[in-house]
Amino acid sequence: MREIVVIGGGASGLAVALETKKRGRDVLLIEREEDLGGILNQCIHNGFGLEVFEEEYTGPEYANKYIEEFLKLDIDYHLNTTVLKIEKTNNYFEITMSSKARGIEKIKAKAVVISTGSYERSRGSIIMPGERPYGVITAGSAQRYLNIDGYMVGKRVFILGSGDIGLIMARRMFLEGAKVLGVAEIMPYSNGLTRNIVQCLDDFDIPLYLSHTVTDVKSGESNRLESIVIQKVDENFNPIENTAKVFEVDTLLLSIGLIPDIALLDNLEVVVDSLTKSAKINQAYETSVRGLFICGNSLQVHDLVDNVTLESIRAGKCVSDYLEKKLEKNNESIDIIPGKNVGYVTPQVLDFSWSPKELIISFRGKKKMEKTKIKVFQNNELVFEKFKQFIVPAEMETIKLDYSKLNKFDELGISLEEL
Amino acid sequence: MFDYIVIGAGIVGSTIARELSRYQVKVKVLDKENDVANVQTLANSAIIHSGHNPDPDSLKAKLCVWGNKLYEKMEEELSIPLLKSGAYVVAHNKTEEEKLAELYETAKINKVPEFYYLDSQEAKKQEPNISKNVTKVLSLPTTKVTYPWEVAFACMENAIMNGVSLQKNALVTKIIPNNEYFEIEVNGKQIFKTKNIINAAGVACDDIAGMVEKEVPYKVHGRKGEYFVLDKRVKGFVNHVLYPLPSDKGKGVLITPQFHGNILIGPTSEYVDDKFNVSTSFEGLDYVKTHAKELAENIPFNDIIRSFAGIRSSIESGDFYIEESKEFKGFYHVAGIDSPGLTSAPAIALYLLKEVIKIDKKQKINKDFNPIIRKQREFHSLSKEKQIELLKEDARYGNIICKCEKITEKEVIDAINGELGSDTIKGIKKRIRVGAGLCQGGYCEEKVMRLISREKNISPLDVKYDDKASKLFVGETKVNKL
Amino acid sequence: MGKKTFTCIVCPRGCRVTIDDNMNVTGNKCLRGEKYARTEMTNPTRILTTTVKTTFKNMPRVSVKTEEPIPKELIMQAMEEINKVTIKEQKKIGDIVIENILDTGINVILTKPLIRNEVKNEEVHLSN
Repeated sequence: MREIVVIGGGASGLAVALETKKRGRDVLLIEREEDLGGILNQCIHNGFGLEVFEEEYTGPEYANKYIEEFLKLDIDYHLNTTVLKIEKTNNYFEITMSSKARGIEKIKAKAVVISTGSYERSRGSIIMPGERPYGVITAGSAQRYLNIDGYMVGKRVFILGSGDIGLIMARRMFLEGAKVLGVAEIMPYSNGLTRNIVQCLDDFDIPLYLSHTVTDVKSGESNRLESIVIQKVDENFNPIENTAKVFEVDTLLLSIGLIPDIALLDNLEVVVDSLTKSAKINQAYETSVRGLFICGNSLQVHDLVDNVTLESIRAGKCVSDYLEKKLEKNNESIDIIPGKNVGYVTPQVLDFSWSPKELIISFRGKKKMEKTKIKVFQNNELVFEKFKQFIVPAEMETIKLDYSKLNKFDELGISLEEL
Repeated sequence: MFDYIVIGAGIVGSTIARELSRYQVKVKVLDKENDVANVQTLANSAIIHSGHNPDPDSLKAKLCVWGNKLYEKMEEELSIPLLKSGAYVVAHNKTEEEKLAELYETAKINKVPEFYYLDSQEAKKQEPNISKNVTKVLSLPTTKVTYPWEVAFACMENAIMNGVSLQKNALVTKIIPNNEYFEIEVNGKQIFKTKNIINAAGVACDDIAGMVEKEVPYKVHGRKGEYFVLDKRVKGFVNHVLYPLPSDKGKGVLITPQFHGNILIGPTSEYVDDKFNVSTSFEGLDYVKTHAKELAENIPFNDIIRSFAGIRSSIESGDFYIEESKEFKGFYHVAGIDSPGLTSAPAIALYLLKEVIKIDKKQKINKDFNPIIRKQREFHSLSKEKQIELLKEDARYGNIICKCEKITEKEVIDAINGELGSDTIKGIKKRIRVGAGLCQGGYCEEKVMRLISREKNISPLDVKYDDKASKLFVGETKVNKL
Repeated sequence: MGKKTFTCIVCPRGCRVTIDDNMNVTGNKCLRGEKYARTEMTNPTRILTTTVKTTFKNMPRVSVKTEEPIPKELIMQAMEEINKVTIKEQKKIGDIVIENILDTGINVILTKPLIRNEVKNEEVHLSN
């Protein structure tokens, strides 16, 4: 019987494993790929670590800091091992995993942490009319082929979606010799960080078409993408006539969002939040299943890896507390609800049986706002307020609340108000 | 000299090839595509209909009910996936109930083996998500759901086992009828001689027929259908195929549970000028959504993982056209095979051989014919004991390649190297569902690419997505100048 | 001439910084923003991150970066230099790949350890 099994060896899983090991817990980490570090390995651009290290690192450098420490602490781990199933009995979890080296095996654990990251939305998850040629590829897949394997997926590229991966890939494809004809974003604002618009698009004169989307996809002789049509959209995202622009491209990269990968929760009775598309948690990162924790991008999609690390360290502490029986339940809990202009919030539940010094709440704004007040209400009473110059959906916001000000009965609502 | 050349390796060509292999004849199948089941068979509703819909006295009525029965035998012999779901045709008001009564009568005349009414309460009990406005239901327990391309693969593989040869990437460019035989020119160069030709070319049937006949007795009109697929996590949303009442546009938008738990919603029905164009449209997909809502409540459209379109090869008469050429003996038309073509396919093959060709008078039985393919089911659907046994034989069953569908390295390798193996990403997906899940290949495509490269001993730069020119990569960074 | 406004790209915060003719900088949340605005006015620079070829089967490409920002207009030229390199031996993270690229005084360094590891598939790492 293991104390903790951590599933996923990316930024989140590494941080959880390190934190729990440092607290003297017994931990096993399971990674399906042949390397630790997860998606950071292919994010070779810089911009990681400013929050945690106050230095700017590339993805592999950032990952390496944690991998080195992980190896130094001699934490147990499996590579090339896929978890197939997690089952819960009264007192423990049973994890079924599969690998070439050891076949199918089962292990038991007192606590499980899901840090499986997220997957990319593909063409199927949005309605994109037109033919189905080869050449419409998610930006992350193209990034892996490019940065890890050294293969170019196309010569003439257009990008749909201005998420950071799309912007970063616009620059990478350009630097490696491709023609990048533009980026289309259906929203009237970019979904990526402003610095990436500047250094990935503006630096290379790549145009950004806001309020535009792809409305046709045409294939050539060999079933390879030949051209796309983009059109301006109105406020209801319907294409406007006579605004069509045709681009002759062999590749359309999709950067249209990430979704938490919670496929492993399918057999467990986990309560899911339709807003985050992941499990609901309490402030200890514990799901509705006792002893099952979740953090990192499998909990909520982050824009900065530093926040993944910090969140996962907190989750690691909570798992340790759980094993030390400091996380007992007494059924005193309230819901935390996203209010006006708030897209989602985590945690969704505040459990009064476990009270660290501060309650950290993460959320995203629904739209771009200026001069905004973050307000937290309980029973129509303002319990917290903070001014924020800018709110953009692309950036996750975090606030810290004092427990002592809250009552134990009424739900907590978070809203954003423009001044 | 061949006895029979079958043009087209879709579901119809494949079932015909298999039936031919029961005789002592030399058979070749030609297909312009680089894989079996690549056009109509790849994109349709995948339903084995009961036969409640076609006009009595039509060939469609006869072959649909017959074909439905033959699927159970094929399941036994060929290990094809068959979900015995049954179906509900729903009515929403008195007028529709009258139409439902007409269908009931049709089902009776067509000799559908089992069918009965359910009141709305009973229907809701069986299908909790069925539309609240449903007033009456015609239940059709013999309706089933399959994966059409898997049926085609199994039939073709069995035909090959029994002596048939298959040539892919073989576009028929000319047919010259002589007195005793035909000459078929392929890709503008290769010539095959054959005594008989079976034209099972689907949407291209009239093009092929036009190479022989002075006047082709039909014209194929492409009728496009657009669909959505929902992720298998919605498994159980409906357990029966839900049909609206049919109209002049066909069977309408259906909700279909699939073998692996996905839900298929569609199709539209729209005549198109370009019968090879399978693009989707905003309007089409909107139409599907709107009409599906008449069948069920709270459809989880958030779980859409894919949309696609297929073409049905319809002809004016509205019925199948399965006849020998009046002028050119030995040239057989199998045309107009739109819905219920998948259901009818095994019966079409038997009807053609027994009643049109009258093959039993002409050819001797192949005593060595073996109708059985023991296809191993997906590794992760096998019993624990069986899995352990297989893992001892081959450790590659332990390496998961497709996480969403739980497909192992050994299964990918078998799909590459098997009798009807494929060396393309799309071909492997068709065979074993690698990349058919939630992430749509985002995670596993690279792994499949590496396995194809290794097994076929080709550079990753030469791995293709589907046909000749669509390679995954245009070059290597820092090596090839773009 | 007047003022000029940029988005500072030093960190993901993305401050809107304004610089006037007298090189006075406003809108920045930290000192790096001030430095960025001045450089952007006179000699814009960027850190270049990319990959280099290796002879390693398990890592055909390895990631690199310029240790410091290089002049923006040299980026494509720097790419050409980096693309000529093939690494043949194991190296540590931070090891120099190209010294003093294009006479900028700045080195191109590895951002990932380059280790030959042909039998990764069978790895198990259990201490007890």
